[in-house]
Amino acid sequence: MKAYQEKAQALDALMFEKTTEYEIGRRHLANMMGEDPETFTDEDIDTAIEYLFPSGLFEPRARPLMKHPTEVFARKKVAEFDETGRPFHVLFYTGLPNYYQVLHDLSEKVRELDSFSDRMMQYNIHKDPERTLNVGGTEWVKKEQLEDILLEKLKDKQYEFFVRSMNRLLDHPFSYRVEEFIMKFRKHVQISVIHKEIPKLMFTAEGTPYMAAVGRRKTSTASVTVYGRGSGKISINGEDLLYFKYIQDREQVLFPLQFSGLLGKVDVVADVDGGGFSGQSGAIRYAISMAVRSFVDEQMMEKMRLAGLLTRDPRRHERKKPGWKGARAKYTWKKR
Amino acid sequence: MGRGLWHRGIVSSSNPVQSAVEPLEKLQESSSDAITEQMAKSLKYPDFFKVAELFTVEDLFNARVHLGHREGSLNDHMSQFIFGSRLSHLIFDLDQTATLLREALNFTAHIAFRGGIILFVGRIPQHQVMIENTAKECGEYAHTRYWQGGVLTNSTIQFGSVIRLPDLIIFLHTMNNVIYEHTAIRDAAKMLIPTVGIVDTNCNPNLITYPVPGNDDSAASISLFCNLFKAAILRGKEKRKELLGVH
Repeated sequence: MKAYQEKAQALDALMFEKTTEYEIGRRHLANMMGEDPETFTDEDIDTAIEYLFPSGLFEPRARPLMKHPTEVFARKKVAEFDETGRPFHVLFYTGLPNYYQVLHDLSEKVRELDSFSDRMMQYNIHKDPERTLNVGGTEWVKKEQLEDILLEKLKDKQYEFFVRSMNRLLDHPFSYRVEEFIMKFRKHVQISVIHKEIPKLMFTAEGTPYMAAVGRRKTSTASVTVYGRGSGKISINGEDLLYFKYIQDREQVLFPLQFSGLLGKVDVVADVDGGGFSGQSGAIRYAISMAVRSFVDEQMMEKMRLAGLLTRDPRRHERKKPGWKGARAKYTWKKR
Repeated sequence: MGRGLWHRGIVSSSNPVQSAVEPLEKLQESSSDAITEQMAKSLKYPDFFKVAELFTVEDLFNARVHLGHREGSLNDHMSQFIFGSRLSHLIFDLDQTATLLREALNFTAHIAFRGGIILFVGRIPQHQVMIENTAKECGEYAHTRYWQGGVLTNSTIQFGSVIRLPDLIIFLHTMNNVIYEHTAIRDAAKMLIPTVGIVDTNCNPNLITYPVPGNDDSAASISLFCNLFKAAILRGKEKRKELLGVH
């Protein structure tokens, strides 16, 4: 045991020495940078070293660094046995004492519940439906969360075994008796659907409500302003709807207004750039739909979402590949 | 008298005779030299902790320790401990078992007396909880889980720092789940750690320092063995507190 004690003392001495060196180094750096040594944080040390000792090396881990000795040297293992070398935990030699302790407790609880249910069977009491454990809205902790609870690194198989064993305990008809133990390893699921904030209507100097939005399609960008209390005027890059030569493009522009019933009730002013007529009309359509959200109630907005008006079309031009005729099309295959 | 005992050089299988050595007294000063001297004196007794009175052959019989496996699975090294077979089921010679168990318990108690670390090992799931509880109740350690390769032979890297290895390993089951011998038997022999092991008819007692032939499959027999080892360890620790003044 002398060897162990000597090693422990040597480690303590080393840590003390390195910590004092670290503190002195930190004060030096603070003075070099002209900062206050008392309030020089770890991040300040990193920036100071980057500035004072610039390194041309590519790999970040090869560059000079100065970290507190606890991050570089010892881990918390030193506290796991006393000065005679005897470990504190019964299951220390398994390598994962906390994890296996949980499994041990689990087995004990299953036995307890089995003996309880045997006794209840004598009185002909089976499962009590009113007192069943309710775990609605919760799920088992994830592997990372379990590792945080136990402070031990686990393998996937060990985590899966843990979950299967806990499920076995949970499925026991009298599991409500060990609710506290089970709930330690269950996390509440956040059932909040992320509602996107719909921007509120803005007002001009005259008092007309308006909403601006930006839409993109292929390589076109459209910035659109929809004015309420209007008469259905549409202006695209200064021109009216006849900016688009083809009927399909004009329909694309009008579709969100027609769908939401605002066709003759709002004015639209659009600036569009980039791409061709199809991309530009799609961009304007998307921008109008996003602006119209502020004019319209939730139900109509849900209908618009289902109609596909609120989805930004992600399709882009796919490149041609060498040896192929196009992006996907291949040249005629000849058997011989 | 069984061939097994003859091979081990044990002359008589009856209870050992108390020799005329004066009893140990409590230490007045607890210097390390005095402690070492006390420990050396305790070795002069054949049964210092009186572990012989912890059980009788009848207790072993009632706990079904004498029941072995079938004839076909007999390990040749175990044939010296077999009384015979009945309807092709092998029966252990409980006289030999009793003597060897007393040896093992005596050794265990001495290790506990000297403050050694004792590790209980066993790999059968039905008895895992029982073994872990036994270890807890006598303040020692248990490993009834998957045995990682470097626990004894590569401990510094396995545990991240220099640790103290067990001074005795007690095997409640020498076989693994998977019908192979437990790795710890070979590793303990490599690291010069003495072992005590309950060996059944299909087990190989070769590398075990203090084999105890007996049944390792019934809960009753494992429970009996756990209680006996626990009692021996607690006796050793009691004497340690009393005579050496060390906690």
